[in-house]
Amino acid sequence: MTPVTTTKSPFEDLLAALIRESGALTVLLVTRQGTVFSQGGDTSYMNTTAMAALVAGMFSATREVARMVGEDQFSILLQQGERRHIHISLVAGEIMMIVVFEDQARTGMVRHACRRAAEQMAVVLPQARERETMEKDISLPAFREYALNLIDRIFQT
Amino acid sequence: MPYVGFHNKEISFKIVYYGPGMSGKTTNLVHIHKTLVPARRGDLVTLDTAQERTLFFDFFPVELGRVEGYAVRFNMYTVPGQLYYEASRRLVLDGADGVVFVADSQHQKIEENCESFLSMQKNLRSYDMDLQSFPLVLQYNKRDCENPIPLGVLERQLGLNGVPVYESVAVKGDGVFETVKKVTQLVVEQFQI
Repeated sequence: MTPVTTTKSPFEDLLAALIRESGALTVLLVTRQGTVFSQGGDTSYMNTTAMAALVAGMFSATREVARMVGEDQFSILLQQGERRHIHISLVAGEIMMIVVFEDQARTGMVRHACRRAAEQMAVVLPQARERETMEKDISLPAFREYALNLIDRIFQT
Repeated sequence: MPYVGFHNKEISFKIVYYGPGMSGKTTNLVHIHKTLVPARRGDLVTLDTAQERTLFFDFFPVELGRVEGYAVRFNMYTVPGQLYYEASRRLVLDGADGVVFVADSQHQKIEENCESFLSMQKNLRSYDMDLQSFPLVLQYNKRDCENPIPLGVLERQLGLNGVPVYESVAVKGDGVFETVKKVTQLVVEQFQI
């Protein structure tokens, strides 16, 4: 099992800039497995864990749909609501960037800001991966022992 | 493939409940969800049809707590069991760190159980999972049915050796925690960075 790892997020600044430039409400970076690993803007109104799981499912389903019509994938998904809209795009082929915004007239601006942020992230991502090898601070035997104790306690029969 | 976030100090594992239609996958998850104290679980998300059959997946996170400074979470998923949702089942298995195969103990379901298990193996292989070492638990559910499939039958038919097996009656909660405990233990024991 090769884990997906991230480190001190250089993405936070990029996400803050994206929020500033696009006027969006929220931005989440989500792995293909459906885990949030960075976020920006206001997330207080949202269950980000469930959101990540649902969007990952939605994106992977859409990828299969794309293949059925002869595309590798649809790189952008746009969901329009009454008040809020969601723009989802793929970064470096593996991370989903979810942007929630309210003003529909800003769709173009959001799309532009997302594209720019995605380009920057694609550059930063390999550097972050390199650095994370130096930051591994988990003792695996201790981790396993303590986690197994917690499992015993939580799933008591 | 567990998620390890060094910057946000978080580790998440994905556990998938797989099995034929109506074998009790969602019932397992619902029981775990309602039995855990609220601090240990997030909201249960269900994507089902009007007939309450799972359409895409059910999902909720189990918060294990802090380990070595990391918040550890198990993201629990089910797959839809009905035959024609094969594509969805494959998608949900993507990135799974452990699987519980929920078999239906009713005698007439032997073939359906085997077909579902073989499709699971095929789907896991499509993600390059090593089936020999992959954390897997076999649960014989609905043990309260008349004339249940004897333990060992599915293992023999599927050529399974050394896979942990549990009996359960998920609607009553019997055997549910034993099963989830085992699969989470296996996943943690296999965890590598």
